[in-house]
Amino acid sequence: MEVKIIENENVMTAQLIGRLDTSVSQEVATALQPLLDKADKTLVLDCKNLEYISSSGLRIFLTVRKAAAAKGGKVIVRDINNEIRQVFMMTGFLNLFEIQES
Amino acid sequence: MARKKSLDSATRRAANGGLIIVIVAIVALEATSLLQYNFTHRVLEAEANKRAEGQLKATELQILNVMDQVETAVRNSVWSVEQQLGKPDSLLAITTRLVATNPVICGSTVALKDKNLAPYSYQEGNVILTSSLATEEYDYKNQEWFLSPIGLGSGYWSEPYFDEGGGNMLMTTYSVPVKDKKGNVAVFTADVSLDWLAEMMDNVKVYPSSFSMLVSREGRIMACPAETLVMNHTIEDLAHLTGDAESFEGINRALLSGESGRASVNLEGKSQYLFFDSVDRTGWAMSIVIPEEEVYGEVNRIGRMVIVLQIIGIAMLIIILFFMIKSQRKMQEVELNKSRMEGELQVARGIQMSMIPKIFPPYPERGDVDMYAAVVPAKEVGGDLYDFYIREEKLFFCIGDVSGKGVPASLVMAVTRSLFRTVSAHEKSPQRIVTSINNSMADMNETNMFVTMFCGVLDLKTGHLRYCNAGHNAPVLVGKGGNAELHVIPNLPLGVLTEMSFTEQEVDLECGTGLFLYTDGLTEAESATHELFGEERMYKALNANLCSGEQIQAMTDAVKAFVKEADQSDDLTMLYIRFMNNHVSEETERHLILHNDIQQIPQLADFVEAVADAAKLDVALTMSINLALEEAVSNVIMYAYPKGSDGLVDIEAIVRKDSLQFIVSDNGIPFDPTAAPEADISLNLDERPIGGLGIFLVRNIMDEVTYTRSDDGKNILTMTKKLA
Repeated sequence: MEVKIIENENVMTAQLIGRLDTSVSQEVATALQPLLDKADKTLVLDCKNLEYISSSGLRIFLTVRKAAAAKGGKVIVRDINNEIRQVFMMTGFLNLFEIQES
Repeated sequence: MARKKSLDSATRRAANGGLIIVIVAIVALEATSLLQYNFTHRVLEAEANKRAEGQLKATELQILNVMDQVETAVRNSVWSVEQQLGKPDSLLAITTRLVATNPVICGSTVALKDKNLAPYSYQEGNVILTSSLATEEYDYKNQEWFLSPIGLGSGYWSEPYFDEGGGNMLMTTYSVPVKDKKGNVAVFTADVSLDWLAEMMDNVKVYPSSFSMLVSREGRIMACPAETLVMNHTIEDLAHLTGDAESFEGINRALLSGESGRASVNLEGKSQYLFFDSVDRTGWAMSIVIPEEEVYGEVNRIGRMVIVLQIIGIAMLIIILFFMIKSQRKMQEVELNKSRMEGELQVARGIQMSMIPKIFPPYPERGDVDMYAAVVPAKEVGGDLYDFYIREEKLFFCIGDVSGKGVPASLVMAVTRSLFRTVSAHEKSPQRIVTSINNSMADMNETNMFVTMFCGVLDLKTGHLRYCNAGHNAPVLVGKGGNAELHVIPNLPLGVLTEMSFTEQEVDLECGTGLFLYTDGLTEAESATHELFGEERMYKALNANLCSGEQIQAMTDAVKAFVKEADQSDDLTMLYIRFMNNHVSEETERHLILHNDIQQIPQLADFVEAVADAAKLDVALTMSINLALEEAVSNVIMYAYPKGSDGLVDIEAIVRKDSLQFIVSDNGIPFDPTAAPEADISLNLDERPIGGLGIFLVRNIMDEVTYTRSDDGKNILTMTKKLA
């Protein structure tokens, strides 16, 4: 699992590459700390290369979302694959996140 | 030891019985023989008595007859003599006439008492000569024949005597006193030759070596074949001469008192009977001596022969009894050995049977193979074998038949079975397995026993069968479309030649196809009429619709119905293998064990991936399943065990045709995830809790989720996903 943070003026983008399972959730959470710090900006979670996500990953997504909501920012989830979309649907995440296709 | 003892006592009983038979036989034989011997003895004794007495009487009668003649002739001449006493010349004429007219009288004299005058006429040859007895040397007046009649005043028979002057003849003299009116006294005599008597006694033999004796009044022996005894000895002398004093003295006394009778004497070193009788008027005695040997010779000889025959007979009886007892003992030993051998064979049979798989069905949990085997053992231990086991999803199996029977065959069978196990443990090719077993067996095969064997390796995933035959009967392929003999290259049996090359063959089995293997005990099962069961009946009893157990039972029943009560001569072994699936196993199990370390989650992902592959799931479903598993397992890893302690999670996956099941179990603290409240996904962002999604996902992805806490303290979470 790899996390790349790209910081622009008003947009913080995190590219999530690989499988986000329980075993890596802690390190992913740490890697995404810069996003939480700038939660007043627009936060983009780029899921183009995210293959898989477990509930621990969903928790991280939810944490980011809550932080943005608290600081007046916004979260965009970009390019999720069908499998993950299904999980989002299952968990009601589709209602909580703005999903974008690039 | 106990057996030995009972054997000994049995033999002793038999020997005692034999001894009693021998003793009874001996007693009966001896008693009979003794009775017969005594009876015969008495008959022979009576016969001897009769013969001897008859002879004595006959002889006596002859003597008396002669005496009568002589006495009559003399009496008739007495008157003439009395008239002529004074005229010696006339006297000679009278005596000469007497001699001439009486052949038995061989001499005669008239001896005067007052004068010395005794004219004598006697016969010599055919002429009658005369002489005078009145010689100086002779002194007739002192002779017994002269004195006795005068003394007695009557006729007197002299003691027999040898007349030396008149020609060595045994003689006796009858003399009568004569007296004329003038007072002249004389003695008138007639000499009688007793040669006829001696001759008669010599000739007349009542038994071949019997002899007669004439004994005088004084006991003198007068006639006897032993001529030295004649006249010189008396019966009394014999008492000294023979050493049998007692007997002869008794006889002597009896003779002197004129008695008759029989005595046993020891004469000439032999036991002899001595019959005696006195002759009236003379006081002589006649005696016949008969060796006892001759009286009883025949019966003694027969007796001896009987004894010899009896000894031979009894010896034969003893020998026969001895051999009977010996053979009886041998039979008992054979019997004992047989029962001991049978006991040992039973043990051998037990050991042999314990070597082959006997639990059927052997793989009840497997859907890919259905197999069954049966051995119908013959009375005697045979050398049939079969064996099978599964290694790396391959069924290794063999069936074999050792040549011969009994313990040797069962030993070879045991060796063969061990070799099969040992060799096949690291060989997948039946050809190499067979070759290797063959080399081991042929190498040490000093008894020239061999084994026919069919060896196969069936890939349970594909139904691909590789096989190698070593001289065994070709198995039968039992398919829905009919039965067919599996094509086999016969090859040589195992143990015949080292470095034999065996050819491997292969065939693909379709699902449901059975392979029926058997030993020739099946096709060669004999009915009471010696008809063989044969392949035709075997084929008839094979049916592709039967499961293995039913098939073996059907075949067993068919053989039983055919053979009926006939004795089974050979082991009958059958092995039936049905291959059930040539695609995906009906049910496969996979297993994964993880430590309570969250870093092991990727391993779980790989495991689920493999299971999904086996179940041929699509990517989306695979991910969902993966997700559910991860939630369930990570839950255990993170919360089941106290922090820092080591624990395990056990994940079992069962892939079925229509479902996928995962069982996650751990030994951690009791926790029922299904009891957690349902997450509410309709809540808005502010209301939603961060966690609680894991078990929600599990429930949503899986069709059925159950939790149990097992008796041995395990949390068991079972998750089932139905497959379309």
